[in-house]
Amino acid sequence: MRHLEQELTALRQDVIDMWRLVISQVGKSGEAILSFDKDLAMQVSMREKKVDAYELKIDNFCENIIALHQPVAIDLRFVLAVLKINANLERIGDFANSIARLLITHPSISLDADLITQANLREMVEEVKKMLVHGLEAFENEKTSIAASIFSEDSVVDELNDRAAHVFAKYIEANPDRAYECLHLISVFRKLERLGDHCSNIAEEIFFYLDAKILKHSPKI
Amino acid sequence: MLTVEAKNVDFYYSDFHALKNISLEVEKNKVVAFIGPSGCGKSTFLRILNRMNDLIDGTRMTGSVLIEGEDIYAPNVRVDELRKKVGMVFQKPNPFPKTIFENIAYGLRVNGIKDNSFIEQRVEESLKSAALWDEVKDKLKKSAFALSGGQQQRLCIARALAISPKVVLMDEPASALDPISTAKIEELIYELKKDYTIIIVTHNMQQASRVSDKTAYFYLGELIEYDDTTKIFTNPQKESTQNYITGRFG
Ligand SMILES: Nc1ncnc2c1ncn2[C@@H]1O[C@H](COP(=O)(O)OP(=O)(O)OP(=O)(O)O)[C@@H](O)[C@H]1O
Ligand SMILES: [Mg+2]
Repeated sequence: MRHLEQELTALRQDVIDMWRLVISQVGKSGEAILSFDKDLAMQVSMREKKVDAYELKIDNFCENIIALHQPVAIDLRFVLAVLKINANLERIGDFANSIARLLITHPSISLDADLITQANLREMVEEVKKMLVHGLEAFENEKTSIAASIFSEDSVVDELNDRAAHVFAKYIEANPDRAYECLHLISVFRKLERLGDHCSNIAEEIFFYLDAKILKHSPKI
Repeated sequence: MLTVEAKNVDFYYSDFHALKNISLEVEKNKVVAFIGPSGCGKSTFLRILNRMNDLIDGTRMTGSVLIEGEDIYAPNVRVDELRKKVGMVFQKPNPFPKTIFENIAYGLRVNGIKDNSFIEQRVEESLKSAALWDEVKDKLKKSAFALSGGQQQRLCIARALAISPKVVLMDEPASALDPISTAKIEELIYELKKDYTIIIVTHNMQQASRVSDKTAYFYLGELIEYDDTTKIFTNPQKESTQNYITGRFG
């Protein structure tokens, strides 16, 4: 294998490793909230540093490849896409961490399990995780058809978020004394919804890398 | 406006079919780079544009080449007149064994110019256009061989410019030069396109991408892809082009 190809393969592997870590972070932070599991939340929080370390490593790797190998065409698009995917994964890692930290910084807060069920938090977490997994599959297998599914999944997430907003509004009306904890849950949904947006950004980068198509700021397929 | 228009050019060295149905247009004041693996026909095609291949025995060409709208292979065309319009710079600097001044004045004299003050003026202008004037203005009477390789190459460019061509053909003009001289030649090409149309053959991918507006990729005597340089280097349409420019070639 040529030198540049070896470097690109190693870079690809780092991105895949980071991606798996971020998927696990999101899954665990969701699980932690769903089951009020503070230990699990702690785990997520501890591993946040690892996500950050990947981000720095991948940024540096890209910078070196551009400086030393001057990649062009699909190689250039790959490195540029990786730079942006990296930034998006890091943000997703941040969101997972801040969801988990809700349990750590507010240990006394008691979340209403019925409310969580009504608002469909589990579905929301699963849907967002699905987007992340599909992103990784599309990237690993170089398939824009898989990346395309992420855009429709993002609409599902937006819709779930919308429906949850109504549930929360009703809940606060009926239980004004529990508004505070409800606001925390709303912030979890809000974060998951943003997380979905980052997954969409990643899908756009996969289209740019594989097909040289710019989908940013345009209606999706 | 089109400066060069090649239409369906086929070229043979005896029975070897070196160029296959090449059609390519070059707009005025643009820089076009020819790239492709060794032996793909870049130099052959470049030489077609100023009929340098006429000098080689047993060659045959079909198709047509227009320079500024004129068919350069028409029977009434005078090759010496054509070469005034289409100058050429080669891979290895090839100054004449004469003084720096005479290297440039010679071409003017051969072309019938006798007015010495005009010649002096043209020598200075050409050396300035070739970004060499400041380095040689005090030693115009010295032998051209006393110059460095990079300076000799710029002298050859000045020589080509002196007779005011419309098109300048360059066959790997920087391949024998160090990075600083190479950078100077590349800067020069960028400056020169204000006044000339330039076609450059290069093996250096980064050079092609740095200096040219359009890039033509040749492979086995065929023009595989010809497009804006930005397009070729970010999103080439042909897999063969991509394999070549990314170094995945064969
Ligand atoms: N004078 C000649 N007689 C016979 N065949 C020739 C002659 N000159 C070139 N060829 C052949 O024509 C083909 C194209 O040669 P050309 O010199 O145009 O290639 P090129 O793309 O410029 O290669 P390079 O990058 O090595 O300079 C080659 O296969 C070469 O062997
Ligand atoms: Mg050649």
